[in-house]
Amino acid sequence: MVKEKYINKVREISINVVKTQVESIRRKDIEKTGLRIYKDGYIGCSGAIGKYDEAELEKKAMGSLKNKISYAYEPEGNLTIKEDFSQKIIKEEELLNEFEELLSILRKEQPNFDFYNKLNLLEQEARLFNNKGLDLYYKDKYISLELIFKEKSSIHIMDGLVGFMGRKYDKDLVLRDINRVCNAFLNKVELPNKKRMPVVFDSYERLPFMKLLQELNGNNFGSNSSLLSDKMGKKVFNDNFTLYQTNNPEYWPLPFFDAEGVVNKNYRYDLIEKGIIVSPYTDKRTAHKYNLPLTGSAKAEYDGVPTLGEPMLQIEESKKTAKELLGGEMGIYVAIAFGGDFTPEGKFSTPVQLAFLFDGENFIGKLPELNISSNLFDMFGNSFIGVSKDFVSPLSKSRYLIIEMEVSKL
Amino acid sequence: MFKFPENLYSDVRIEDVYETKIVYKLGEVEEARTRKYKGAFIRVFDGQRWYYSSTSNIANIQNELETLASYATLDEKIMENPIVKKFQVHKEKLIKFEKDSVEKIEEDEKHELLKNFFPILKESKFMTNWTATYVDRKVVKSFYSSKGSEIVFDTQTAGFSIYLYFSHGEKKFSEGFQKAYNSFYKLHGKEEELKSFIKKCEEFLLNSKPIEAGQYTVILSPLAAGIFAHESFGHKSESDFMLGNEAMKKEWTVGKKVGSDILSIVDDGNIEGTGYTPFDDEGTKAEKTYLIKKGILSGRLHNATTAYHLNEDLTGNARAVNFEFEPIVRMTTTFIEAGSKTKEELFSEVEDGVYIEGVKHGSGMSTFTIAPSVAYRIRDGKIAEPVNISVVTGNVMETLKEIDGLSNEVELLSSVLGGCGKMEQWPLPVGFGGPYVRVKKLNVY
Repeated sequence: MVKEKYINKVREISINVVKTQVESIRRKDIEKTGLRIYKDGYIGCSGAIGKYDEAELEKKAMGSLKNKISYAYEPEGNLTIKEDFSQKIIKEEELLNEFEELLSILRKEQPNFDFYNKLNLLEQEARLFNNKGLDLYYKDKYISLELIFKEKSSIHIMDGLVGFMGRKYDKDLVLRDINRVCNAFLNKVELPNKKRMPVVFDSYERLPFMKLLQELNGNNFGSNSSLLSDKMGKKVFNDNFTLYQTNNPEYWPLPFFDAEGVVNKNYRYDLIEKGIIVSPYTDKRTAHKYNLPLTGSAKAEYDGVPTLGEPMLQIEESKKTAKELLGGEMGIYVAIAFGGDFTPEGKFSTPVQLAFLFDGENFIGKLPELNISSNLFDMFGNSFIGVSKDFVSPLSKSRYLIIEMEVSKL
Repeated sequence: MFKFPENLYSDVRIEDVYETKIVYKLGEVEEARTRKYKGAFIRVFDGQRWYYSSTSNIANIQNELETLASYATLDEKIMENPIVKKFQVHKEKLIKFEKDSVEKIEEDEKHELLKNFFPILKESKFMTNWTATYVDRKVVKSFYSSKGSEIVFDTQTAGFSIYLYFSHGEKKFSEGFQKAYNSFYKLHGKEEELKSFIKKCEEFLLNSKPIEAGQYTVILSPLAAGIFAHESFGHKSESDFMLGNEAMKKEWTVGKKVGSDILSIVDDGNIEGTGYTPFDDEGTKAEKTYLIKKGILSGRLHNATTAYHLNEDLTGNARAVNFEFEPIVRMTTTFIEAGSKTKEELFSEVEDGVYIEGVKHGSGMSTFTIAPSVAYRIRDGKIAEPVNISVVTGNVMETLKEIDGLSNEVELLSSVLGGCGKMEQWPLPVGFGGPYVRVKKLNVY
């Protein structure tokens, strides 16, 4: 019998802003514990929020073995890794004053706008350990600023979003980023009269990856439910398109291990290499069921059975800056694109509610609302331009993802 | 029950939660868990700022109150603060789901509910994969405030989702069959409906073709109409977006004509379903609020702060997704009221258009979106061939005026696995629905 425990702790200070003034301060300190029992090819789970009785937890996990949830795979063992990414960002007691000062400057530097929403300072810990010698521990501390901005004369519920997530707080850089967006917002420009243009996304934007996440899901892939099901080992996309799943906390504040304790080399697993399909993303059950490589993409609720979850996907960056990738052309930077999607055969379309004309370094001005469209196989095939080596902001690790697409006025 | 700090307003919300989740993939059980926990959210207000704490340690609530109070500035006249004055005071116990409680239903019975569908799922030669999920959630909420409120009430949802994947050569299609109610027993007897649903999916898989992008007359199903109402106008009616924005207040003056004469949109937390919210998380009783009545802007959704600032009445829409968050202005059950035409009349008047039946998701800013999962062309007044559409969009304010027909029956729906998202708080259970709604002109891609 293998006994495994998962502990997740989150401490958070969250400051809410209404009309560029602090409205509220929220403190959170939540600990969630899960216990898994692996016995005779089955798994039983239990969990608790906050304080718990160890014996009760074990009794409940043992009791849940009656559900006969098969788990015929060897739990991970003999591996100890501790990763502590937490560093001093800002003292908790100074956070409110620091943020109020930022807001005060914003009121002066951006008098045409009101700002709303949150600044969060988060500390998180995750530990997965068992009696087979597995002990994985991850600790992190980061700041997340997500401000909605509205022009004071605006009749809309929001005009745009600014912010960042990272382990560094530098007021001047934050202000530089916000001013970059807000100043461009005030300069209205026309949509160039072209049917196709380079479209630029933040590489952390999920929208372009929606279809890949569906088609590379190990269950869909293995059961012939995916457009890519019969394309393993085949070249489907652009030579310059390498896609990998990442658990690297360097890029995103998440544990370096998956819910089954799988740790990939360099915390990454390539799914598409130079346009060739290498593997869908899998957990142990899916990999076993469909005879696929194990990529370590299990997710689990604190008290639940590990199951296949969506990983963080990243495209390997090129050796060029955004400016170089654009090659002298203007691009359309997608700041807000809500609601778009793909059809079953892969056709993509989305309205872009906020876009900027972009020269690879600067946002030139705000474009009218527009529509962009393409197709999965073009987006990452012939129309794929690349991911920049430069970052969108010195405060975050996201880069520019550039794809040529059809562009039209809404 | 609690010793509330003096010269401050404070309230405590305790959530006693029971949840079940069961998942089968291709007939094999992959998850079967029940969860029971308590959590509390504590708020202290000094007239200037709110101080919040979320805790899973119920025994520590009194300490949390005192800690939050130590951050605040005492105000002897706090009870005269206009926001504090807005808070309602109720002493009421409203327990509706004790007899029908999902907690009392044996786990085996919940498994059996799903297993009854399995033979049907094996019949389709095009089905390559499926996942059947059962979920239930019962919450007993207790709310206590320093103004004297003592409220205990419960909410409950039970539902299932069967997500189906189909394949025929290069063609792939996936869609979900879902049901949710306040009672577990209402989930029984859906087998025939599932059979018809699978047949429809197979026809869609085999015959659907990409649509030619353009402007079409569009008829929305009750599901699509509900999502449209929620996304297009519901979010705009949440008054926290309006705080301190004079331009928006002027633009959104009650009494302004905003939609066609036949259009009425309502939000009502009294309606049973996933949006049932008899008291909100500030202790306000649910109200039926007309957002639009016969095309005229008639009301909006409030918490105490927005109601005070906009000088309007409370509506019972301060909701938190769970005990970890503060209440913000959210919808409950939002729907379009019925019109006068039969469904057949509504379709028969469309020579060339699009019918949207199933929806993956929607969004709403000035431009709203609906991403259809199942859609058809309408030709000569009849539903014709299935079409694949990535997204349907339109300007909200223009589209509301383009509505030219409503069927005479409203269907209200509950969400099973998803819900409404607003910034960090997702998924909040909401209800939605409407009649069949015809829009003269929408952009279809």
